[in-house]
Amino acid sequence: MKKIMIDPVTRLEGHGKIAIFLKDDGSVANVYFQVPELRGFEKFSEGRPAEDMPQITQRICGVCPEAHHMASTKALDALFHVEPTSAAKKLRELLYSAFYVTDHTTHFYILAGPDFVMGPDAPPAERNILGVIAKVGLELGGAVIKTRHDNHWVIQTIGGRPIHPCFGLPGGVSRAINEEERAKIEEIAKSSVEFGKLSLKVFDDIVLKNKEYLDMVLSDTFTHRTYSMGLVDENNKVNFYDGKVRVVDPEGKEFIKYAPRDYVEHLAEHVEPWTYLKFPYLKKVGWKGFVDGKDSGVYRATPLSRLNAADGMTTPLAQEAYEKMYSTLGGKPAHYTLATHWARLIELLYAAERMVELVQDPEITSTDIRNIPTATPDEGVGIVEAPRGTLTHHYITDERGIIKKCNLIVGTTNNYAAFYMSVKKAAEDLIKPGKKITEGLLNRIEMAWRPYDLCLACATHSLPGQLPLEVTIYDAQGNELKKLSQGI
Amino acid sequence: MAREVGKKLDDPQITVSETSAAGLSLLDSIVGYDQVIIIDAIQTKKGKAGQLYRMKPEDFSFAKHFSSPHQINLVTALELGKMLDLAMPQKITIFAVEAKDIASFSEKCTPEVEQAIPEVVKMVLAELRC
Repeated sequence: MKKIMIDPVTRLEGHGKIAIFLKDDGSVANVYFQVPELRGFEKFSEGRPAEDMPQITQRICGVCPEAHHMASTKALDALFHVEPTSAAKKLRELLYSAFYVTDHTTHFYILAGPDFVMGPDAPPAERNILGVIAKVGLELGGAVIKTRHDNHWVIQTIGGRPIHPCFGLPGGVSRAINEEERAKIEEIAKSSVEFGKLSLKVFDDIVLKNKEYLDMVLSDTFTHRTYSMGLVDENNKVNFYDGKVRVVDPEGKEFIKYAPRDYVEHLAEHVEPWTYLKFPYLKKVGWKGFVDGKDSGVYRATPLSRLNAADGMTTPLAQEAYEKMYSTLGGKPAHYTLATHWARLIELLYAAERMVELVQDPEITSTDIRNIPTATPDEGVGIVEAPRGTLTHHYITDERGIIKKCNLIVGTTNNYAAFYMSVKKAAEDLIKPGKKITEGLLNRIEMAWRPYDLCLACATHSLPGQLPLEVTIYDAQGNELKKLSQGI
Repeated sequence: MAREVGKKLDDPQITVSETSAAGLSLLDSIVGYDQVIIIDAIQTKKGKAGQLYRMKPEDFSFAKHFSSPHQINLVTALELGKMLDLAMPQKITIFAVEAKDIASFSEKCTPEVEQAIPEVVKMVLAELRC
């Protein structure tokens, strides 16, 4: 049996390792997507004051700290039995929308962009952001940097710091914004709407008008019919900050809708001996293995899943883009994994439009930003939609508010079974007997999980002292036959 | 270490920041400054814990095309800034401290790294006087 290793995976937050085992005839025997890290945030949170959790948990990674800060803050609201003021909720959602603009911009242009703009067969030295900008032009490159920079300013202004906010408190937030700040945020929000529109046009020009890419998007190799999960408001429209978790079945019919506190009734986790990360699944359907379909409890919580799970968007331009996407993809729900990139850009536009709505709300500069908690803390669950999926924080404390138990289901974890299946299917379809295993082919396999925008969480800031991606092929006796590497 | 440097400085022209930002986010933070000094941890093959290195971005040019799990790496971010004609700092110096243990979580540095702090502060202050 031959073995192909992809370790660590490129353009992935944290470390992952893909091992592809081949049969003697060169076809795929089995695939493993391992997460060899064990970080233990839940364990070392025990014994800490609950109010430290928004600061501690956002250090899980450097890409989505705002999501952890927000889920944690909402868990504290529930834990201390306090309802935030209306202005505080709006300020939280405003910051969170700015975060979505930055995060989705980063993923599309920096992480996913090279696959489509440069193409999967481009040399690794060109398949990166520098290559993308050289091809799409400095003007668009400048807009990417400006949008990120401006929205980080929004996060800093509202949240106190540009990367790791420090404004979330049980019952509200720590500071209000003044009219001068509001006016500047409004300007940035409007500019972000234009950037969102431009990004959808870029997707249209580069992907949808390219027959080879569109065929790839619609191909069975990159398709899985699973349940879809996402947070929705009272009208079943997409909401990143608040609402109930809705799950629709592979046909699009509502399967469950639950309040955050009830998540344990609906989700369970499957364990495999070859990886530290657990595989969540829908309890009522059950774990049936790594298979899709209505009888399998595997679900997805991605930008595309959020749109599948909702009845639409609350903002006009995003709704228009939402309708166009489903019309092009042949109806709703859509199960084309690569269409997740499209859904992500629709969400980017929605987040920018939502910023405009919130910043124009007369209440946004209110100084009534906090209700002081008075009840004894006990247990609380907070859920937000992180860019990479539904994020759940669950804390149990003693009467002093000291953490006794902490459980986190992070965005990426929801999708573990699905992205494992996606990689396996792509490997099985693309690696065939007699077919040469090239870097381009391996990059196509990576493209199967890239839409999930995996965040396995980094443990170190170490410079890459080793090759970021290495593929080793072994013969049936375990001898190394050939070594391929990317990223040199 | 940055905090200790900050205690020794009282100059409105100098900003001292503690950040976990990397890549593009770091680029956001340094645009518009004349000079930037970065203090970070490093692990080398034969390094001794607490050992100090004074480096320049060019020292990491071998890593330019490496994909980084943190979006993009420092060298790529700096090249991107130049490519887009952003107001990049004229001088960037990196002070790297050899870390002993990057796998365990703690609120304190290891004793070897702790002992290196005064020397790092001295080197940064000397750099600012140049």
